[in-house]
Amino acid sequence: MREQRLVLAVIGVTALAFLMMPIVIVVPMSFSSAQALTFPPPGLSWRWYDSLFGDPDWMEAVWTSLGIAAISASSALVLGGLAAYGLDRGLQRWRSLAEANFMAPLIVPGVITAVALYFVFAWTGLLGTYLGLVIAHTILAVPLIIIMIGASLRSLDVRIEQVAWSLGASWSQAIGRVVLPTLAPSIVAAWIFAFVTSFDEIIVTSFVAGAQTTVPKKMYEDLILEITPTITAVATLLIGTTVVALGLVHLLLKRGQLPSVQTGPAAGSTHSTQ
Amino acid sequence: MSSIRLENLGKSYAGVQAVRGVDLTVADGEFFTILGPSGSGKTTLLTLIAGLAMPTEGRILFGDRDVTHVPTVGRGIGLVFQNYALFPHMTVFDNVAFPLSVRKKKRAEIEDRVQEALSLVRLTGFEKRKPSQMSGGQQQRVALARAIVFRPTILLLDEPLGALDRKLREELQVELKELQRSLRVTTLLVTHDQEEALSLSDRLLVIDKGTVQQIAPPREAYLRPANSFVADFLGISNFVPLDGGKGVVRPERLQVELIGEHGSRGPSVTAPNATGRVREAVYLGQVVRLHVTLDDGGELIAAVSPAGPAALAQSGDAVAVSWQREHVWPLEATRSGAEAARRAAFHK
Repeated sequence: MREQRLVLAVIGVTALAFLMMPIVIVVPMSFSSAQALTFPPPGLSWRWYDSLFGDPDWMEAVWTSLGIAAISASSALVLGGLAAYGLDRGLQRWRSLAEANFMAPLIVPGVITAVALYFVFAWTGLLGTYLGLVIAHTILAVPLIIIMIGASLRSLDVRIEQVAWSLGASWSQAIGRVVLPTLAPSIVAAWIFAFVTSFDEIIVTSFVAGAQTTVPKKMYEDLILEITPTITAVATLLIGTTVVALGLVHLLLKRGQLPSVQTGPAAGSTHSTQ
Repeated sequence: MSSIRLENLGKSYAGVQAVRGVDLTVADGEFFTILGPSGSGKTTLLTLIAGLAMPTEGRILFGDRDVTHVPTVGRGIGLVFQNYALFPHMTVFDNVAFPLSVRKKKRAEIEDRVQEALSLVRLTGFEKRKPSQMSGGQQQRVALARAIVFRPTILLLDEPLGALDRKLREELQVELKELQRSLRVTTLLVTHDQEEALSLSDRLLVIDKGTVQQIAPPREAYLRPANSFVADFLGISNFVPLDGGKGVVRPERLQVELIGEHGSRGPSVTAPNATGRVREAVYLGQVVRLHVTLDDGGELIAAVSPAGPAALAQSGDAVAVSWQREHVWPLEATRSGAEAARRAAFHK
């Protein structure tokens, strides 16, 4: 028994170390005072962060990425939210077909979506435009939104909505005053998730971005041309942002857990605890 | 307040007939119960009346108003579900105020009426609580307050006490009945609990396999069931021979006497209807239930007073069972011939 647990612990720690290694190396390197990439760093400095924030090309890429991520996450939220609602509450007959259609961008390999978008965008003149990137990232984010909002919609008892109607609420009042506030935590979580996914996206972006530069694209291009420690500063910032964002998602989803539908005799005597 | 009229109401889902040919009039201010086992169509009937589903045939009228195709929001009904369906993100006050605030009532009026509704369900002082901080019984009271605060003409209750434990359920039954009487709101209760149906309703409807089996006041449905399904569903029923057919007699109508060692019986019954042996004696506090296996192989269940001599019967004891003819209600086939006479006897 004891040996088994020990072996398990060793394997676990090794796997964790392996996964954490890049982070452990990249973060100290970004604070290095050296001219080139060296590990361990000979001294500490903010110089690579200075060079990152002082570089107009990098700053442009950051703003482009932030803008595209915010707009595409927001439009995917609207489209995906409506789709999730329709799939859960409305559609009966064509549900599985519609669901498969909405999920396709998640299942089809990224390059295929990329190539398809490349041709469509070339044909419609969207190739290399900001709008084109927004559309591409929206398409990729919609299935994520549908999954996350769909899950919390399923746990929201349909009778809560029906009661709202019976009490005199119109459909839009029921949505605005009952459904959305109840789902708020998972809606915000879904938006953050879509935002991070867009910010991180590289495959489709490389195909359709043209002269537009996003952060991952610039990182990739810089690595090909010359390797400077600036890139480790970018990586460190990305890691930090992602950890914070995912931590936020986790907190929101935990807070947003709906009180489970109480049925059965046991529910009468128990207080649900939050 | 408003009456409810259903005319030849039917609903089928993807070719399956959930409810068919329901004709029913619920009077203004009546407490009416739809009673049936699960899958009988009782919930379908409620969703049709609530406007949560559209019937495939027939009409629904509230008073003189045809609401068959009116959506839920336009029907003015108070709806209470078994799982309370409170809005989890709102306080008790906001939950109860919801129907008034969507109607854009003035703040002062909302305050007054919410307080009034909360005091009716004895929850004054709970305004700031969230539903998750309350017990099941309290949550169901909030749901009830929310359903009556906008003075609906019709109250629909879908197994409202089903999630509560027995003692609480009985308490709330009494409160519900009092509330309904003081508000005089037409109330439709859907339940599978026959005791609840018998104790609360002015009249009840028994439904099975989507078809109405009987509409009658509780006492009549219990003592004069329209068929063997109703007889069985509303309580324990003993089927006994009657005029060449069969009839049903309730356990408390059976008299049981212990037969002594020498075949002697008490003086009260001269000629028992049947003799047999006690298979099991079940003590239930208010009543002792005797399961008797008859000499001819039949089974009877008798409910006897725990204070009487028959309560001492133990499993294996020989007993004589008797009943009076007017306590036996003839079932379907038997009824046609003997019905007139039977009815006359019953009403005496």
